[in-house]
Amino acid sequence: MSAAVLYQWVLASLPEIVVVTGACILLILGQLIRRGQEHLIVWASVAVVLIAALATFLLAGEVRPAYSGMFIVDRFAVFFKFVFYLATVLTFLLSRKYADIEGIGISEYYVLLLFSLSGMMIMASATDLLSIYVGLELMVLCTYVLTGFLRRERRSNEAALKYVILGAVSTGMFLYGVSLVYGLTGTTALDGMAAAVTGGRRDPALLLAVVFVVAGLVFKIGAVPFHMWLPDVYEGAPTTVTAFMSVAPKAAGFAVILRVFLNPLVAASDVWIIVAAIGVVTMALGSFAALVQDNFKRLLAYSSIAHAGFVILGVVAGGPAGIASVMLYLLIYAFMTLGIFAVVVMMRNGDFSGEAIPDYAGFAKSHPGLAFLMLLFLFSLAGIPPTAGFFAKFYVLVALVEQGFVALAVVAVLLSAVAAYFYIRVVMVIYMREPERSFDPALTPSVRATLALTAAGTIGIGLFPAWFLRLAQTSVFGG
Amino acid sequence: MGFPLLSLIILTPATGAAVLIFLRSDDAVRWTALGVTLVDLALTVVLLAGFDTATHEMQFTEARPWVPALGITYALGVDGISALFVFLTALLGSVSVLASWVAIERRVKAFMISLLAMQALMLGVFTALDLFLFYVCWEAMLIPMYLIIGVWGGEGRVYAALKFFLYTLAGSLLFLVGVVVLYFQGGETFDMLVLMQQDLPFGVQSWLFFAFLVAFAVKVPMVPVHTWLPDAHVQAPTAGSIILAGVLLKMGAYGFLRFSLPMLPEATLYYSTLMLAISALAIVYGGFLALAQDDLKKLVAYSSISHMGFVTLGIFALNARGLEGSILQMFNHGITTGALFLFVGLIYERTHTRSIAEYGGLMKVAPVYTAFLALFTLSSMALPGTNAFVGELLVLSGAFGANLAFGAVAILGATLSAAYLLGMYRKVALGPVRVRAGPTLRDVNAREMAAILPLAAFVLWVGLYPKPFLDIIDTSVTHLLVEVQSRGRSQ
Repeated sequence: MSAAVLYQWVLASLPEIVVVTGACILLILGQLIRRGQEHLIVWASVAVVLIAALATFLLAGEVRPAYSGMFIVDRFAVFFKFVFYLATVLTFLLSRKYADIEGIGISEYYVLLLFSLSGMMIMASATDLLSIYVGLELMVLCTYVLTGFLRRERRSNEAALKYVILGAVSTGMFLYGVSLVYGLTGTTALDGMAAAVTGGRRDPALLLAVVFVVAGLVFKIGAVPFHMWLPDVYEGAPTTVTAFMSVAPKAAGFAVILRVFLNPLVAASDVWIIVAAIGVVTMALGSFAALVQDNFKRLLAYSSIAHAGFVILGVVAGGPAGIASVMLYLLIYAFMTLGIFAVVVMMRNGDFSGEAIPDYAGFAKSHPGLAFLMLLFLFSLAGIPPTAGFFAKFYVLVALVEQGFVALAVVAVLLSAVAAYFYIRVVMVIYMREPERSFDPALTPSVRATLALTAAGTIGIGLFPAWFLRLAQTSVFGG
Repeated sequence: MGFPLLSLIILTPATGAAVLIFLRSDDAVRWTALGVTLVDLALTVVLLAGFDTATHEMQFTEARPWVPALGITYALGVDGISALFVFLTALLGSVSVLASWVAIERRVKAFMISLLAMQALMLGVFTALDLFLFYVCWEAMLIPMYLIIGVWGGEGRVYAALKFFLYTLAGSLLFLVGVVVLYFQGGETFDMLVLMQQDLPFGVQSWLFFAFLVAFAVKVPMVPVHTWLPDAHVQAPTAGSIILAGVLLKMGAYGFLRFSLPMLPEATLYYSTLMLAISALAIVYGGFLALAQDDLKKLVAYSSISHMGFVTLGIFALNARGLEGSILQMFNHGITTGALFLFVGLIYERTHTRSIAEYGGLMKVAPVYTAFLALFTLSSMALPGTNAFVGELLVLSGAFGANLAFGAVAILGATLSAAYLLGMYRKVALGPVRVRAGPTLRDVNAREMAAILPLAAFVLWVGLYPKPFLDIIDTSVTHLLVEVQSRGRSQ
């Protein structure tokens, strides 16, 4: 290995190196900083992410494979990395005041988020089952800890414990699948697998291996039948962490799923039926279970399950349009989900938890502007035009119908009508009930900035989807 | 591409809604909203004045790329089928603002913003020449209408709003899948004019026909998906009812004319008898339901189901008289039923009851009110000399041309409408004074007259001299019919 090659490899992974190094420095800085100066950590964390984003942007020009085929920088990875950056920066902005209120304003919180970010970045770029595994574990280990960050709260501890145990099981399954793949094909590289799969006749053992790999990945995106942890973990985790988890790790999971599935497993076509079934059942379960929730965070957890189901249908559609539809969906989902979570985070003040749906009764009367933003995010999640959420669903439908999956498209839209009900129910509480007490939302400048940015994305992509659509289409790998 | 008049017509209420955000006093909000809708009305008059009745081609067209990667454009245009609706929407927009002047007391600003947003989107539906644009406007209307019913409605408003929302959403979503299928079947384009020229296989046409039918039938509404309508109407504030009955119900029928007939001619011909049967059923069923109502608003709501049955009957008669009659009848229904809801609202504001049994002898207390009520009641039952007579006559003669049995059933429905409307008028206006408010009840004031008079003028104008209205419709309908008949049979 020459110095030039090493230089190329380091260059390709520069954003990851920036984030990891930045996190390490912040970890030390955090010990030196005095009380009352925590905001320095926040801004330093934001700066780290911005530097990484800049590096990513500069590297985006060409495809750079690195580390002997375990890692690649292509437009696909770059697109996902920007979704992660967006989610992370917005989470930082949201956390400042919330962390004070909850008493978790210590530097480790931000450092863990940064490490988690680096894990996701590795996932987006990984082209080998082992590098995928490394990224995956780096990401989830941090989120395990973040989930239990409200140390005094019982349900936070419980959620973290549940998450760790179930997560470990899924990791075990994933690794077992990887070992089977290695035993059968002699490689863990994705393109090597592709060659092995497409070369000979289909091996039932390989199918089994694939099922295990799938199970491990599907756990991370909270699809049925590995969804049970999700509502409890979402409810128990600090709301800012929930916001982060419902967007970034989910997008990372889909990045890996797209790479693994659409690359080597095209030949193993039986898998498609399983994936389509997972998608439909996930949507159905998420939509119907959300109907009966009284806790807003739990409702959003089920809603995110339903959305994951819809996105899986984009994976089923496959092809460049299918991949682009998944990517666009995740980008739009990041905006609208972080937007609605920003509202929930903001409501956490004084004796308000922002978690019980009745807490929002009459919100429109006291804060018409904020209520309108909520209305926007909720209708976007429900997929009503002219919001971005509509375009996200629309493009998945286009991809599905293009591949001839009309029946799946019909099922998908009918289930989104069910899902619309529970979003509308929240709108109803906000607009059509009388306020029970006065509101005092924690509306700091950084929360305002988050709301403004997410609202701009939610309405902007809805009205002018052309640019974002082209971005997703040109970022599809291999094209 | 000339002057973007249609864009201006759509953007006027949209900009108006944005301006309202910055106003403080309720009165300023009201006057601004009224001004905006009047300007918009004037613009649509300009549109009608410049409308060329000699051609069936789309006029005042505009097109700009919107999402080029998917072939989506921002394309607008009107022909004889949509021109009248653009005008009707603007007219009822002004009437709605006047009707909610004092009826809406709380959150006036938000209400007017919803009203103006609604108007912009409805105008978008009637002028869109791109299927995607059409769908976006069609679906986005749900948001302001949901709020109008749910926030400013009556006692059971939350339930009614939710029911309205879910019914229409479920219908529209199937339509969305149909739109996407049509996009691929028609050569990856959302251009409605191109799609109208495609000859799709019959099997595809059939599926699309039913996917579209679900969406349009919910909006019309046709039996048996009509049950959201009485709830929505009864709970909605007066302006909401006017818009619902006047414009929103037209969208389903407009959808048939714009999509089902020209794009799926073979399926349309094949299923026309079924559609005639459902229409005839709606006419009679709606009539009987109206006959049994004691609530004024419910009576008008159920009569709408019956009247809209005439509209779909005329459409699927698939002959010139039927089609022209149904388009004119849609316009008439917007005027007449809009007016009737306005009248219900006026009396409700004064007495706080809508129960017919509690009224009586209004003629002695409020003579002007009852005189105009008589005019609109007669118009609703299609008395000669009023607008609905012309429309209903054309529809019936078209229906008889298509199918004798359903024509006969429709006649029965027309008789029913005389029964429930005259019965209503007798109980409300004649006899001893029984009304709650008694002799102190105010008659209509100047502002209310401003809303009533233009509607009354149209009742008589269309009734006595329908030619200018039929002229607008005629060429486009003839062309549409030739297309359906030739392309539907040739395959």
